[in-house]
Amino acid sequence: MAMKFSTEDFKERIKENIGDDFMRKAVAGAQERLHTRRLDAAEELGNWEEWRSHGEEIRQHVLENLDYYLHQLSENVASRGGHVFFAKTGEEASRYIKEVIQKKEGKKVVKSKSMVTEEIHLNACLEEAGCEVIETDLGEYILQVDDHDPPSHIVAPALHKNKEQIRDVFAQKLDYDRTSKPEELAMHAREMLRKEFLTADIGITGCNFAIAETGSVTLVTNEGNARLVSALPKTQITVMGMERIVPSFEEFEVLVSLLTRSAVGQKLTSYVTALTGPQGEGDVDGPEDFHLVIVDNGRSRILGTEFQSVLQCIRCAACVNVCPVYRHIGGHSYGSIYSGPIGAVLSPLLGGYDDFKELPYASTLCAACTDACPVKIPLHELLHKHRQVIVEKEGRAPVSEKLAMKAFGLGAASNPLYQMGSKVASTVMKPLTKNDRISKGPGPLKAWTELREFPAPEKERFRDWFTHHQKEKGDGKS
Amino acid sequence: MKVSLFVTCLVDMFQANVGKDMVEVLERFGCELTFPQGQVCCGQPAYNSGYVEESKAAMKNMIQTFEEAEYVVTPSGSCATMFKEYPRIFKGDSEWEPRAEKLAGKTYEFTEFLVEVLQVEATGAKLEGKATYHPSCHMTRLLGVKDAPMKLLNEVEGLELITLPNAHNCCGFGGTFSVKMGPISEQMVDEKVASAELTGADYLIGADCGCLMNIKGRMERKGKPVRVMHIAEVLNSR
Amino acid sequence: MSGTIQNRDAFLANVASSLGRERKQRVERPVWKFQPQHHVLKDASQEELVEVLRSQCRLIHAELIETSLADLPKRLAAAVNLYGGGPLSLWKDERFSGFGLDELIHKQWPAEKKEVNIWDPVLGEKNIELAEKANIGITFSDMTLAESGTVVLFSSPDKGRSVSLLPKQYIAIIPKSTIVPRITQAAEAIRGKIEGGEVVPSCINFITGPSNSADIEMNLVIGVHGPVKAAYILVNDC
Repeated sequence: MAMKFSTEDFKERIKENIGDDFMRKAVAGAQERLHTRRLDAAEELGNWEEWRSHGEEIRQHVLENLDYYLHQLSENVASRGGHVFFAKTGEEASRYIKEVIQKKEGKKVVKSKSMVTEEIHLNACLEEAGCEVIETDLGEYILQVDDHDPPSHIVAPALHKNKEQIRDVFAQKLDYDRTSKPEELAMHAREMLRKEFLTADIGITGCNFAIAETGSVTLVTNEGNARLVSALPKTQITVMGMERIVPSFEEFEVLVSLLTRSAVGQKLTSYVTALTGPQGEGDVDGPEDFHLVIVDNGRSRILGTEFQSVLQCIRCAACVNVCPVYRHIGGHSYGSIYSGPIGAVLSPLLGGYDDFKELPYASTLCAACTDACPVKIPLHELLHKHRQVIVEKEGRAPVSEKLAMKAFGLGAASNPLYQMGSKVASTVMKPLTKNDRISKGPGPLKAWTELREFPAPEKERFRDWFTHHQKEKGDGKS
Repeated sequence: MKVSLFVTCLVDMFQANVGKDMVEVLERFGCELTFPQGQVCCGQPAYNSGYVEESKAAMKNMIQTFEEAEYVVTPSGSCATMFKEYPRIFKGDSEWEPRAEKLAGKTYEFTEFLVEVLQVEATGAKLEGKATYHPSCHMTRLLGVKDAPMKLLNEVEGLELITLPNAHNCCGFGGTFSVKMGPISEQMVDEKVASAELTGADYLIGADCGCLMNIKGRMERKGKPVRVMHIAEVLNSR
Repeated sequence: MSGTIQNRDAFLANVASSLGRERKQRVERPVWKFQPQHHVLKDASQEELVEVLRSQCRLIHAELIETSLADLPKRLAAAVNLYGGGPLSLWKDERFSGFGLDELIHKQWPAEKKEVNIWDPVLGEKNIELAEKANIGITFSDMTLAESGTVVLFSSPDKGRSVSLLPKQYIAIIPKSTIVPRITQAAEAIRGKIEGGEVVPSCINFITGPSNSADIEMNLVIGVHGPVKAAYILVNDC
């Protein structure tokens, strides 16, 4: 699957990333900063819950009527002279884009940040076809220069790198000879990339939201790179996941308000750009040719299922920024370009359980993600649904676990069985108990006691104490 | 007021003290307590692991056990949340959904019951020292009980409350997560332990037995001096 | 000049079938149950909106210069000098004249040897080159959003996208009469235009301060691909 970037197994990846001190500090710091900024931005509005409900109702309505809105969108793009290509698979999308570029005899492609093009491995396809493909989002650019290091965060892709590492990469690959100050590094990237913008034949962008009523695509950035990508090259190709659509400008403004607040705590980012078709008649800048590629790539399989709500996602990464698991294992542990809670829900759906079946278990179901989501995706419930599917439909759960759960089912449902077990527990565990604790547990307790002490079972269970207690009280009364 | 205790399997078997303290606090405020003997476990461990069908028998047992109760009170936010989830789990089941609905409607977490139903904030408890409070995830986010524990703790004589840094982060328990994803759970609980230590508190207080067992177990393993207490123990200190 | 559409029918049929129904031919935009956006700064006066804009400008690292109509030429000239002078890139926009800037643009700046380039479709690509080497780009704001500190620019043949993008620095002239509470009003205005039979401009930019990035260790760097500095000149035209 294209979204997968690691062949190591999940446990190995976790081990490796937990040992990466810099990454862990960076992630923790970013989480704390973004968490506070998001809460402040929400607080300022005063009625955040109402905003979330509005975001949710818009997204749900769009998904329920997706065919209609996509039809309307394509009509309106075409009426403005743009070309629309519906791609069932990632390969179809990549092939079309390659062909457009070849027809234009394009050599140099500048790109602004787009998760869906990562998902369909577009860059590799274009590079194979002989194009030079340049990522222009600063974070993506750093990763690309560093031999295509994969992104570790949906919004801040290079979060796992520190400035010294970035300086070294720039020095090695770009003959950079200045300091590791972020300002200088960014200025260098600006200078390098400005030349590329001015000489590129093709611009490729993602799409934050398409607007059905006007046939517009919108781009949300702070750096301004998406503006350059869409203003200078003669041909612009915009790639969108098919669900990233709203009915009109009015819904767009609500979702963009939710997006920028949830992602970075800003009321709006520096640039929000709505592009409609190619350049207008008499326009000097903007593309002469505009192509919109609408990608399914597994999304329609999610529609109509119990997982449909995951398609409400607006890619703000608020769930990533509050996830206590992501906090410690970082984005690369997920092995998918989509990390954090949204990645743990989406990756198995788009990429299959073969590669991503562990991800739904990488959660304590603490619901911080659900709480943070600006469009109210019940993320922790979807993680739980995955577990249910893995156990019940996919039959992938380990046999030992199945047996244990069967036993649990019996024991927990049957009072006599529980009574018997809980009563003798103290006696059975006695040889292992020291100072009311168990430090080395057998069987299922082993994994627990590898990390922590386990309490010794009570000699007198609460229920036995309570019976005595009631009796004593009764005696006292009479 | 008639209250049926749902003490949870953890308290019944491993933390009977928490149950006893809860009993004494509730009795002090005039509650007439019963302990329906049929209770076992709310089904959460199996349910959260994806074994929904396997867990339903446990849930039905609990629904039956508490059918006659007026109020159901439990010293665990997470287990209370599970009762509240029953109607969703039995949705469409004409026999069990209405019964689940009834149970969910009369179930309260212990601190919520004190503050919302008994309208008690000052329990007369006394405990000298500095304390920090860990708001457990299910209780705050899913059950929506955020303020009740703080209201009660603020009234405890002698107790100085210090905010826990990054309190909102999960302690790494997550039921079977704690053993299935040991290496991650370890990092999470270590950060929680470190945050608690940073406050200089004598006590770390919580209202969920699972989370507390996790944090306490790790503190003990690492030989930390912070004492982990369930809020019922605190409110029954005098 | 209509574009092409490929693979649509099969694609949308599949979408509809996933949704478990036939293709929909007509969908009404619903009346939304929640409409919180209309309550933001609902009853704010123009003066109050200006105050909101002022404090927002501090957050977005945009310099806000307030002036009367009469002082505008002087203040704009000063701002340009502060940013290091020409070359300048301007929209071809009759508002420059309407706001009394002819003298400055056509006499004073050329006399000071400041190169002034006015966007002119006749010059074609040359416009982009000139904008690219400009030190400052200057445009009017078509609508101004107080809440976010945003200037809204509608592109047209005379109003290239590049002027607010390629120069090293950017100055927006904001007529006070263009200030509205937030992006909600801009969205409504755009829909109003459509309903009135206008076509949507090929490019609408919502610009909020200078370009920036936090991609390196989450440190905010002002000035990445777009202008590295931005100033707003707020003119009292009411």
